[in-house]
Amino acid sequence: MGIKKFIKNVQQTLGLKDFVIEDKKKSLKSLLKKLNERKKIIKKVLKKPLDIDKEKELNEELDIICLQINKGKKLLHELYLEKNKNKTQ
Amino acid sequence: MPTSLYNKLLTPVIIAVLATSLVLLSTYPDISTILGGIALFLIGMEYMENGFKAFSGGILEKVLEKFTNNTPKAISTGFFATAIVQSSSLISIIVISFLSAKLITLTSAVGVVFGSNLGTTATAWLVSVFGLKIKISVYAMPMIVLGILIPLFFKSNSWKGIASIFIGLGIIFLGIGYMKEGFETLKEGIDLAQYAMAGYTGIFVYVLVGSVATVVIQSSSAAMAIIITALATGQIEYTNALALAIGANVGTTVTAILGSLKSNGNSKRLAVAHFIFNIITGIIAIVFIYQLADLVDYLAVYIGIGTENYAMKLALFHTVFNVIGVLAVSPFISMLVKYLKTLFIPKGINRGKPKYLDETVLTLPSTTLSAIIMETKHLYENAFEIISHGLNLKQSNITSSLPLEDVIKDSYSKNTVNIDAFYHQRIKGIYGEIIDFSTKAQSNMSPEDTKILYSLKLANRDLVEAVKDTKHLQKNLIVYSQSTNTYIKKQYNLIRKELAEILRTIHTVSITEEEDTLLILLSKAKVRTEKYDILSNGTLDGLIRESLITNEMATSLMNDSYYAYNISKNLIAMAEIIFTERSTNATSIHEEMAMDDEDIKEILEKKDE
Repeated sequence: MGIKKFIKNVQQTLGLKDFVIEDKKKSLKSLLKKLNERKKIIKKVLKKPLDIDKEKELNEELDIICLQINKGKKLLHELYLEKNKNKTQ
Repeated sequence: MPTSLYNKLLTPVIIAVLATSLVLLSTYPDISTILGGIALFLIGMEYMENGFKAFSGGILEKVLEKFTNNTPKAISTGFFATAIVQSSSLISIIVISFLSAKLITLTSAVGVVFGSNLGTTATAWLVSVFGLKIKISVYAMPMIVLGILIPLFFKSNSWKGIASIFIGLGIIFLGIGYMKEGFETLKEGIDLAQYAMAGYTGIFVYVLVGSVATVVIQSSSAAMAIIITALATGQIEYTNALALAIGANVGTTVTAILGSLKSNGNSKRLAVAHFIFNIITGIIAIVFIYQLADLVDYLAVYIGIGTENYAMKLALFHTVFNVIGVLAVSPFISMLVKYLKTLFIPKGINRGKPKYLDETVLTLPSTTLSAIIMETKHLYENAFEIISHGLNLKQSNITSSLPLEDVIKDSYSKNTVNIDAFYHQRIKGIYGEIIDFSTKAQSNMSPEDTKILYSLKLANRDLVEAVKDTKHLQKNLIVYSQSTNTYIKKQYNLIRKELAEILRTIHTVSITEEEDTLLILLSKAKVRTEKYDILSNGTLDGLIRESLITNEMATSLMNDSYYAYNISKNLIAMAEIIFTERSTNATSIHEEMAMDDEDIKEILEKKDE
């Protein structure tokens, strides 16, 4: 067994290589969950009568959250693809 | 112990041992052979340590970082890592640099040191099981030859590391062989066993001899190798050998203390932990030496060690009393750590000096990056204070929940704060040191780490630029925020308010643990910065068109709003680098999630709809 393969095996056994992707996936999923929760809360608050400034501020925050959720979903998809690519190698 | 210091101490020892063996060559050839063996053993250990350093290539560090989050894990990791690497000093170096870079807690570091101490007992097993049985000329030489041949065919660092380990192991076996040969021949002339001493007097004398020998040769592993070889050749008695082994354990603390003298507080704290652990273990072993010897006899039967195999029994004794030490001291780790934290606290806080840029962290790229992140945060703290005062705002108000309207009303001082003096005292020195340190660190870094280092340098530059822009902004801000022209006064107080909000946001970002809060706050700050740029939002045009401010005021406002815009942008850019980088590995998702110019444009366009 070549040294590179040996190191790769050790990394796989200890989960040192995939754990980078797994860690990323894990924190991204948790971030998306939190962002979705925020989105729900803001939407709920926006249904209530609010002063104009507050409504503007919340709408802006909602736009930002939606944009971040979309970005996060795209990134998560890329991570799945990367993991599958590693598996097939 | 830091590598450089360890090498500084070890190399003269090797030279001294070799020189003495040369002097004794003609008169006492046997002693000369023993000394030559010791020198070879020490050289072999250095080769092995260097080999593992090259071979680990980050794996060792990752293992240590991942498996040290609680005390039992930390002890086990310290044990296995040291037993495999055969060098407690290498593990100590990594632990100290991790600690200095705050990658692990002091409790975990103490756990690793305890485990590492236990791991050093593996050397005694190596010597007693293989060292004395293997015919050196048959196994040691091919190992050395293999170690020399490998780099000729394989050029990678990992292979070079393996080659170094082979050479090291071969030289260690060769050293043991010479020691064994020297002791065997010496026995024909002088019988050291005649100096054997019975009872507790003998134990104390031999503990002292073991300690002094370890201090002199700077290695407890080498001392154990000598003791086991001398015991195997019948030069010393079993009970005296047990006392010598205890002495070696005590003596090694002196080596660690000597090594930490010129090092940082963390290194000193760990040396104290090591000292306390070994002294307590030593006391327990001395008090219960006869009971422990009986326990070893009992266990030896179970694991198949012959009654007369004193070398292996000594290795077992060495392991048993260290295990007892770990069991006895581990429950008190939290108390020990509490005490250690009270030690070596620098007198007086010099806020213009770096706090984290210690040479020990340069050993590993991951710890170097962590230290630079910590130092940048230190620079940010100083910059935060200077910018607040430059805007004539109280730092305590900014970090409170006081409405921003009230924050800008409560001025910091009636006099102008000298930002230039502040900059020279609290920013310039640290910034210079960070850049110097980064340059030193860069030479040992991978392209990925160099990229992170580059972004950290940018974060530092952003901070410095923000302070410099505050200096420019301050000149007019002090005058116009108290002007009789209510329009210009309003605009300058608006600048103060906006910057106060940015500073508050950055402060929240710096302390929050919630990733979503961090992301949303920074995104909102970016959008706000663009939205309140008075050049692009038409405010300035309106003021000029309606002649509400003079031309001079308009020019000042235009320039100063640009300074304010840059301060905001620089602070946000800095925060995105240093507060979203939770660890130095690639797990951070913030870089990909951060809002770029296109995203900001999209949000602003939505607002306009």
